[in-house]
Amino acid sequence: MKKQEFALSVVKYVILSIILLFLLFPLYWVLITSFKTNMEAYRSVPTFIPDAPTIESYIKLFTENNEFFVYYKNNFIVSGATALVTTVLAILAGYGLSRFHFKWNGWVMALLLSSQMFPVVSRMISLYDLMNKMHLINTHVGLIFALTAAMLPFTVMLMASFFDGVPRAVEEAAYVDGATRMQVLWRIVTPLVKPGMLAAAIYAFLMTWDDYLHAVTLIQDDSLRTMSAGVAMRYLGELSYDWSLINTISIVGTLPMLILFFFFQKYMVKGLVAGAVKG
Amino acid sequence: MQTAAAKKEPRLKLNKKRGDQLFSAALVLPTLLITTVFILVPVIDSVIKSFLDFRVRNIISGEPGQWNNFENYTRLFQGGKLLPAIGVTLAFVVGVVLAQFVLGMALALILNSNVKCARFIRSIMMMPWVVPTIISALIWMWIFQPQYGLLKYFVSVITGGAVNDFAILNNPDTALLGVAIAALWKQIPLTTLLLLSGLQNVPEDMLEAATIDGASRTKKFFAIVIPYMKSVISIVVSMAIIENFKQFPLIWTMTGGGPNGSTTTLAILSYREAFVSNNLGSGAAVTTIWMLLMIVVIFVYNRIFRKEDMD
Amino acid sequence: MKKLLAIALAALMSVSMVACGGGTSSSAPAASTASGSGSTAAAADGEKTVIKFANYALLENGYTEFWEGVKAGFEEKYPQYEIEWVTAPYGEIVNQVINQAGGGDKPDMIFGESSWIPTLQDAGLTIPVSEIFDQAYLDKFDPSVMDACKVNSEVYGLPMYSCTFMLYYNKDLFEQAGLDPNAPPTTYDEMLTMAEKLSTLTTADGNKVYPFGQTTASVAISGSAINSMVYNFGGTVLDENGQLATDNQGFKDAITMLQTLDEKGYNPQNAKLKDLRQLFATGQLAMYYDQSWGFNGVLSINPDAANFTASAKPLSGGEGNGAAMLQAHILAYMDNGEERKEGCRLLTEYLITEEVLKDYMTNITPAYPVIEDMKDMELNPVLEGATGATDNVINTPSIPMLNDLNLELCTLAQNVTVSDTDVDTAIEQFNSAAQAYVG
Repeated sequence: MKKQEFALSVVKYVILSIILLFLLFPLYWVLITSFKTNMEAYRSVPTFIPDAPTIESYIKLFTENNEFFVYYKNNFIVSGATALVTTVLAILAGYGLSRFHFKWNGWVMALLLSSQMFPVVSRMISLYDLMNKMHLINTHVGLIFALTAAMLPFTVMLMASFFDGVPRAVEEAAYVDGATRMQVLWRIVTPLVKPGMLAAAIYAFLMTWDDYLHAVTLIQDDSLRTMSAGVAMRYLGELSYDWSLINTISIVGTLPMLILFFFFQKYMVKGLVAGAVKG
Repeated sequence: MQTAAAKKEPRLKLNKKRGDQLFSAALVLPTLLITTVFILVPVIDSVIKSFLDFRVRNIISGEPGQWNNFENYTRLFQGGKLLPAIGVTLAFVVGVVLAQFVLGMALALILNSNVKCARFIRSIMMMPWVVPTIISALIWMWIFQPQYGLLKYFVSVITGGAVNDFAILNNPDTALLGVAIAALWKQIPLTTLLLLSGLQNVPEDMLEAATIDGASRTKKFFAIVIPYMKSVISIVVSMAIIENFKQFPLIWTMTGGGPNGSTTTLAILSYREAFVSNNLGSGAAVTTIWMLLMIVVIFVYNRIFRKEDMD
Repeated sequence: MKKLLAIALAALMSVSMVACGGGTSSSAPAASTASGSGSTAAAADGEKTVIKFANYALLENGYTEFWEGVKAGFEEKYPQYEIEWVTAPYGEIVNQVINQAGGGDKPDMIFGESSWIPTLQDAGLTIPVSEIFDQAYLDKFDPSVMDACKVNSEVYGLPMYSCTFMLYYNKDLFEQAGLDPNAPPTTYDEMLTMAEKLSTLTTADGNKVYPFGQTTASVAISGSAINSMVYNFGGTVLDENGQLATDNQGFKDAITMLQTLDEKGYNPQNAKLKDLRQLFATGQLAMYYDQSWGFNGVLSINPDAANFTASAKPLSGGEGNGAAMLQAHILAYMDNGEERKEGCRLLTEYLITEEVLKDYMTNITPAYPVIEDMKDMELNPVLEGATGATDNVINTPSIPMLNDLNLELCTLAQNVTVSDTDVDTAIEQFNSAAQAYVG
């Protein structure tokens, strides 16, 4: 029995190491490539620790190709605003769906769930047309609206599941004291679901930071582009690749998300589980 | 006094109900409006367009599309690209979802079994999940690069130099696998996290009781753990199905659908028809077929799951 | 959850049903926005007329400076005009322009390649150049290049300069393989003999050297390159009427050559032109086909490449005489009223002069002049070996779906290389697929 236990434990750690290696080594590889020169990166026998570490690519990114930071800033604006709008709307709708049970609830949920399934490509052609008519094409506002729509289904369900966890007694007491419905929502209930709000906001931020198709289609002005679109368009040019620079961009482009995640992972994890599993 | 209050109550209640109704409608309205305008309407419009001869020149001249008697569809079926694309899509979805589930489950089980630093590992393993899709495509393109890529080097070392030009994305037989690896890399962390949360809901005492009864590990896993996690698994898998059905930027960046059409999924085909061939009607027809296929798959999946539920 | 999902599915189904049923009557509420606020930018800027110029090169390393210089120079000479760039990368700019035009905000001109002309014309975007320039000016352009820019015998794009797909080779590698660096191959057979020697080389850090590069990745430009190779062998892809005409020895020979190159491991598989440029720049590719201006991409990776790069005429094979496909960078125009058309005319006439283009063509983008005024211009030294290549060219008949046809050619090339299909079967498959795009 002991022997078997031991063997099992070895197997366990081996599997664990393999999966972790698969998940983490690529990131290490990108990180060290970003510190190599192109000529070192192109060696046929790769170096696992840079021979001559250099921050050339970082300097290049900050000085020569600094459009990247315009994309970066735009992405913060768009993702930030989307996260904010989405969270506010998700609080309202989530509360509405969680507290008041009417027959339309089922339909609303159905609409939200099904809209999560539609592929983005399928609506781009028409969305472009629509935005155009509303004079929202090539504006951050238009992009924020489109992204908010894409984020709402998940976040609404996430908020609803958090509101489900708030006991009704808390509200009833407030109503007895003569509070209006709005006051109850904002002053009494919302403070109780702060973790849910944070989770929704971070989820929306992370997901919109990842957006590519909306930005590519709805934004044409280079100075308004967000990161994924900008990177795909600018740094994967037709003339040539610059792999050190691309690796540097990968690092700089991922960093804020990593920081955000590590700071708020408690809420993220809780939120994701609540939103996905209970929803 | 008391009787008056009692008399008043039903009206008050009615008012409260009406008020609640209005209030909840008002709360849900903005969300409903935005979702309808920016998702539902475009999707319906796109389905309509799939029955029209609608090209770029229609957009430019402002002429409405013309009904073309299902030509977009008939042309697609005769063109010989649709069926392979459906095949590639299904292969990709099934392969990635299965691998993701197995690996995610393995990792979740290990992390749930008092390994050292489980919490730390759980938090660092999430890193790939927050890497933007375009960047994860770039990361893997760099690893797969045919001349200087890490994979080519490993393969050459492992085979003792016999295979010196392994380029996973350049070979029609392996390109889809290459893209799938990148997709897995990004998706395994979330799957693991959700499965792990499901595992933590499996009651300890049941497991202990089973251990005392002398049940084997495998038996415990299938008889206790899996049934308890059924709802989590069902959700994790359906999320994964949807996600991979929709996958576009990753494939588009890594292979553009090639080589020789071997990674042309319905997403790629529709984008190509619409935005490379400038035939928006035909692109819309592909997405319509794609959505129908997705509905069928999810429907079948649910049927299977429910059936098992009843057993 | 499951219940909800079921409801969702039901809803989805009914949505698609409704859409199917109502398809005819509800036509597209879309696309009624052609006209509209095109010139708001101009109004905001007072009396200046804005010329919107869609130009992918602004985003490419090495070109930006030239184009910014053009803007500065032009605006100084004609202060009543202002150039406003519309940018997107090479692969996206046509979509970009189409998208914008759909929104009623089309640019006034676009910089691109001759192979884009049919797409732009078919989309109803561009106008014949004769609506902008007088005949005397147009007569100054090389008629054979003008032919390459025609759709239905109207010229829809004005060439700036031209080239063919030509051969670049690495003199250092030739020397290392014991070959004469001043005697590049002239036929495919010679090339294969040399390739055998070149294939034994490795670079200083142990990388393999590929002897010969021909692009076959799934992008339209690769299709043009393959088409050019078919011309090398005296074959055709389309006849004069734009109908499929692949039943000839030259076509088969060219495709067979692609297979041979692949079987011997001479050609990097499934490579884009930019992959080839990178390999060439880092000394891992001995010869390759590229447009003359691809050399700029090589230099941007390795500035020292100028020391070892030389050019040669396209190879001839089989019954062919090494004819190649003509390529040109072009300017195409859209109609936004007389005032802006006039601006485009002035800008073009300012741009296509030796004074403005000299430095650009000698140092950045090697290419051959197409206008009489620039006939005696000094060429980029790297082009020396290929002198005369532009005299032996064939124009591709223009068809609206040229892009798709080119992509099918790439698929054909991949079919005989990475997919190992035999040549006859692959050509058969190509013919049936390509039929949808012609006639």
